[in-house]
Amino acid sequence: MLRQIIRKEVRETVRDGRFRWGAALVGLLLFLSLAAGFAQRQEVARAHASAEAMSWAQWLDQGDKNPHSAAHYGIYVFRPVSSLSFVDRGVDPYMGVSTWLEAHYQNPFEHRAVQDTPALARFADLTAATTLQLLVPLLILLLAFRSFSGEREQGTLRQLLSVGVNPRKLATGKVLGVGVALGLLLVPAALVGALALLMAGPGGGAVANEGLRYLLLVGTYLAYFGIFTALAVGVSALAPSSRTALALLLCFWIGNGLLAPRIASDVARSQLSLPSSLEFQASIQGDLLEGFDEHPPRELRQAILRDSVLASYGVDDPAELPFNYAGLSLQSGEEYANLVFDRRFGDLARRVEGQLELHRRMGFLAPHLSVRSLSMALTGTDPAHHERYAAAAEGHRRLIQRILNEDIMVNSRFGETYIADGSLWSQIPEFEYKGPGAEWALAGQGTAAAGILLWLLVGGILARVGASAVARRA
Amino acid sequence: MLKAEKLSKNYNGAAALSELNLEVNPGEIYCLLGANGAGKSTTIRLFLNFIQPSSGRALVNGMDVTREPLESKRFLAYIPEQVMLYPHLSGAENLEYFAALAGHDRYSRGDIEGFLRRSGLQDDAHHQRVSTYSKGMRQKVGIAVALAKKAGALLLDEPTSGLDPEASNEFSVLLKQLRDEGVAILMATHDLFRAKEVGTRVGIMRRGLLRADLDPSELDHADLERIYLEHMHD
Repeated sequence: MLRQIIRKEVRETVRDGRFRWGAALVGLLLFLSLAAGFAQRQEVARAHASAEAMSWAQWLDQGDKNPHSAAHYGIYVFRPVSSLSFVDRGVDPYMGVSTWLEAHYQNPFEHRAVQDTPALARFADLTAATTLQLLVPLLILLLAFRSFSGEREQGTLRQLLSVGVNPRKLATGKVLGVGVALGLLLVPAALVGALALLMAGPGGGAVANEGLRYLLLVGTYLAYFGIFTALAVGVSALAPSSRTALALLLCFWIGNGLLAPRIASDVARSQLSLPSSLEFQASIQGDLLEGFDEHPPRELRQAILRDSVLASYGVDDPAELPFNYAGLSLQSGEEYANLVFDRRFGDLARRVEGQLELHRRMGFLAPHLSVRSLSMALTGTDPAHHERYAAAAEGHRRLIQRILNEDIMVNSRFGETYIADGSLWSQIPEFEYKGPGAEWALAGQGTAAAGILLWLLVGGILARVGASAVARRA
Repeated sequence: MLKAEKLSKNYNGAAALSELNLEVNPGEIYCLLGANGAGKSTTIRLFLNFIQPSSGRALVNGMDVTREPLESKRFLAYIPEQVMLYPHLSGAENLEYFAALAGHDRYSRGDIEGFLRRSGLQDDAHHQRVSTYSKGMRQKVGIAVALAKKAGALLLDEPTSGLDPEASNEFSVLLKQLRDEGVAILMATHDLFRAKEVGTRVGIMRRGLLRADLDPSELDHADLERIYLEHMHD
């Protein structure tokens, strides 16, 4: 019986011109946004890879020079672009794409895509994620808002109930009917996405487990669409008229997709403020110069180091040490600075994570926030993935400094002008980043997943209550 | 097959139906006559469990319809004044759907066309969308649903009002066939002529009361009309 209900719903839907036009439009947008996202991702990934390779070639090719000069010359690394970013760019446009690994300093990532974008163009930035998070739900509401109220208005509901159909089964059939009709649009889109993923290849190592991530992504969006379908069928059953049902559902759509993200960022901003870039840099400079906690200011720090090294070797002059003191001093400076960076960048990351968790909690009020968080995490474009890459790049910077400073310590004398052989640069390993798998991506997404499940439950209950009400209000 | 026991329905204290006792057996056509608001439609809707009785019981095949809302409907078919169908689906698709919901989901295309043909729907209309159908054609699909359900009881609420005389006559012929096959039929109607034609019994209702219960074979048209008007005017 369920099969016939679904078939009839699909038949009616597909024969309805409104569905055909709506689905064609949403389908077109979805395919265009997937294609555009894919083309852009490929281009940016290529550009990043070639720029990084060029910077590495320049590093190797800098010839004979002092290692500390080389450390200041530095290397540029470019964040690899996730091979799934054609679905969801997440915070990619707002995060810098490259950083400079140089001596003394953890540089922030520079070159944000939004900096090159005129303000108005941001609204035209159509991604598959926008289509999936906003437009497909709208299509679902337009498909389903009449599912019961329309039948009541055209009189077929009474006819249906007179043959003794179980209203709950009817509601289930209607929900699944919308699902099948939507499947006509979404299954090809999902296949196109899978094809794009295969064509992207192992994309620069930004993420691992791409296949599993993609499947989970598809599952997440299916659950999100399930919420809207169940809600629409439930509201349609309970509302006094189709018009009221549509008005209620549109209010929910606007609140969920347009208002909630704005409100969430305002709340997050007021609860957990982030320092401005200027304040942040100033705080790091302050720590470096003035010290923090038990760490004394720079001059004193350097004097203490010098005295303790000289004392432990029982000499009076750095020139008498069995190694070049300049190298040790540089490395000690690095290590102190690393403490500062860990503390300041760590604090910033914790604040950002706090804001994000607040967004995810507000997903209990608006499932858009939950699906957005999951989508970014699974596509590897959320702040956590950026943070992980930045940490890896910083680790590499510290490695470079250590190798170069140790070379100065071992291979030169205090006070001499030391020129290292050009072969030293190739002793630095090339930076290779290995992206995290699906499990890592989901580790912080418990709240978001719970939000989706909660709303699925709400939708299911509403559809059930609606079905029971239908029987009483023929 | 259909039985009302002291069946009553009040709306805010006003009686729409008062203590109706009625029984329609297989092979009978019971015609309920009366003005608008006499309680005819209320009776039918109570049998369908669309509304709850204030007191008394409506029984279908011995089952109280409020206690067994789904099971009791297996024996019922309902044809309202306007049979409502899905305009985007063809007559055959509508029939297939309603039959399937009633639990008969194994009918072949041939079976479905057979029911439509028996109901008098011309062959070339079977696979056209219902949005192109006349009212009479829709009523025939309604009959076909009753046939496909193999319903033991038929509830008709002014099924012929608005039909042209020929369509109305065809409808009467179909009802007689169903009666002869042992279906119990309860029909609310304004049409004294039809009631006399097809009814095995005729009831006259006014203000929620069944005022008379007549055997039309003992009356001619003029008698029936006279009795009806007497009850309307006292």
